[in-house]
Amino acid sequence: MSARLPYLGLLLVLVLAPWIIPIIGDSFWLSVLTEIIIWSCFAASINFLFGYVGLLSFGQALFFGFGMYGVALGISAFQLSFWPAFFLGPFSATVMALITGIFAVRLTWHYFAIITVVFSLIFYFLALTLKSVTGGDDGINFSMPDLFNLLGFKLSLTNSTTQYLFTLSVVVLCFWLIKVVMASAYGRSLIAIRDNDIRASLIGINVYRLRLSAFVIAGFLAGVSGSLFALFGRYASASYMFYHVSGEGVVWAIVGGVGTLLGPAIGTGIFILIREIVSTHWQHHALIVGAFAICIVIFAPEGIVGLWKKLRHRSRS
Amino acid sequence: MSQTIIALAINGIVFGLIVALIALGLSIIFGLLDIINLSHGDFFMVGTVIAFTTLATLGHFWPALLIAPLIGFALGALIQFSIIQRIKNNAALSIVATFGLSMIIQEVVRMTFGAAPKRIMPPISGTFGMFGIEYEWYRIFAAIASIIAIGSFFIFLKSTKLGVWMRAVRHDRDTATTMGIPTQQIYLFTFGIGFAMAAIGGVIAAPITTVDFRTGVDILPFCFMAVIIGGLGNLPGTVAAAVLLAFLEGVISGFATPTIARIFSLVLMSSVLLIRPQGLFKGLTK
Repeated sequence: MSARLPYLGLLLVLVLAPWIIPIIGDSFWLSVLTEIIIWSCFAASINFLFGYVGLLSFGQALFFGFGMYGVALGISAFQLSFWPAFFLGPFSATVMALITGIFAVRLTWHYFAIITVVFSLIFYFLALTLKSVTGGDDGINFSMPDLFNLLGFKLSLTNSTTQYLFTLSVVVLCFWLIKVVMASAYGRSLIAIRDNDIRASLIGINVYRLRLSAFVIAGFLAGVSGSLFALFGRYASASYMFYHVSGEGVVWAIVGGVGTLLGPAIGTGIFILIREIVSTHWQHHALIVGAFAICIVIFAPEGIVGLWKKLRHRSRS
Repeated sequence: MSQTIIALAINGIVFGLIVALIALGLSIIFGLLDIINLSHGDFFMVGTVIAFTTLATLGHFWPALLIAPLIGFALGALIQFSIIQRIKNNAALSIVATFGLSMIIQEVVRMTFGAAPKRIMPPISGTFGMFGIEYEWYRIFAAIASIIAIGSFFIFLKSTKLGVWMRAVRHDRDTATTMGIPTQQIYLFTFGIGFAMAAIGGVIAAPITTVDFRTGVDILPFCFMAVIIGGLGNLPGTVAAAVLLAFLEGVISGFATPTIARIFSLVLMSSVLLIRPQGLFKGLTK
């Protein structure tokens, strides 16, 4: 039970954040926190592939984009209400992950990293070309449908507290899903593939099929974060499908600590906080972000979570 | 119509030769140090900025062809020494480190040079008739300069002691070290050379593209494509692939938009990755 206590404490603070933040500061930070939570799910998707299966994807932005456009087009073009649109986003990302995964997971390591970039670039350029549908770089806007409308009792994500709590519960559900998956026999087979794929195949694990399924799960997670981000900004844009977005996610995950549940969330949180805090005072915050990433890989190659574990281990012994 | 296509095709070949120069640097760093260098495109960009600054301060374009590789080499060696060496050639960490580096380089250029894209005039003006079209002299110069740079790199690799050492370390690191080759210095040198070549490419390309702190991001995927389609570690293949890709994109952009041409080459690349991951040209040489 005691091992769960920090998790529950963190969850409690996060749930109460909409009421804590106005007491200690500007309510603008609530939207920053919402953004951190959304991108944490994106970093978790990269971590799921790299940290647990050993496949470094540089193309997760593709599925983020599909989630985003699934929601945006669902609402603006197909006139869907909230829940069908929110289903369409992750669903289209998952289908896309299955289709591209069939090809991509035949390759590993450098080749896998490069083919995932190539796939995401193909669809990025396609989205730029199909400007009438996607709006290209400018993107498309949509107005938010109600979360539900029951006997005159309305709940809508236009309220920032509702939006925050909705985002938080979806992402907590995703992290819980990752935890459950990784604790199962399936999850242990993934770890076996990561550690030694030849040995894994010798003991009867179907490496290709497992890698494919992990790729689909990761695509789903990226799709969820993209859908949430579309609802957060009430728009979708092709620019979020560019490989730079994937690259940032990879950096967040590795800096936080790959192969750990909360590492990606910590990495994402730190980077977005640096950006928000520094950019209000200094235009060139990218310098600090870049230098920070470099320092982490030099001085804490296991990421922040790894550094934390090491320090705790040292202080105990 | 056919004349536009001829012009676009030749433009493609010229651009492909410049890309080949950058991709070769990417390929030797990849092959020798097992590092995916995401900041490589930014050194191309630094080259274009050096060309612009040289022209603005000295009034001449030509000194940039000497200054850029020197700065590129020094910076490359410095980066290898201070960052890359410390992460012990771990590919995943190298991606993070070079991504951070890319952010820093772009931001420094944005700070000092400004965010607005700029253009410079070709130092050789005038056109001449060829295949029924008027073609710019400067682009011909750009092609020749790239060929000279690529050629001298291959001669360097084949017939100097350092070049042989570089090939030896790439072939088998441990044996090379036991034979007394100073592996660490070779790494330093390789990074320097790679960045110097990207910077020269930038200087050559500056008068025919825009000078902008973001150009590196656009050119990087193209260079990776050339490295992969040519076959990892196959340097002549890389050059051939770069020229072929740019030529095809040039021709296709005569019929469709440049974006569709880019999609075409990306699809071509994914088929190469899936069907012939060893590259298009494996088995043709030797």
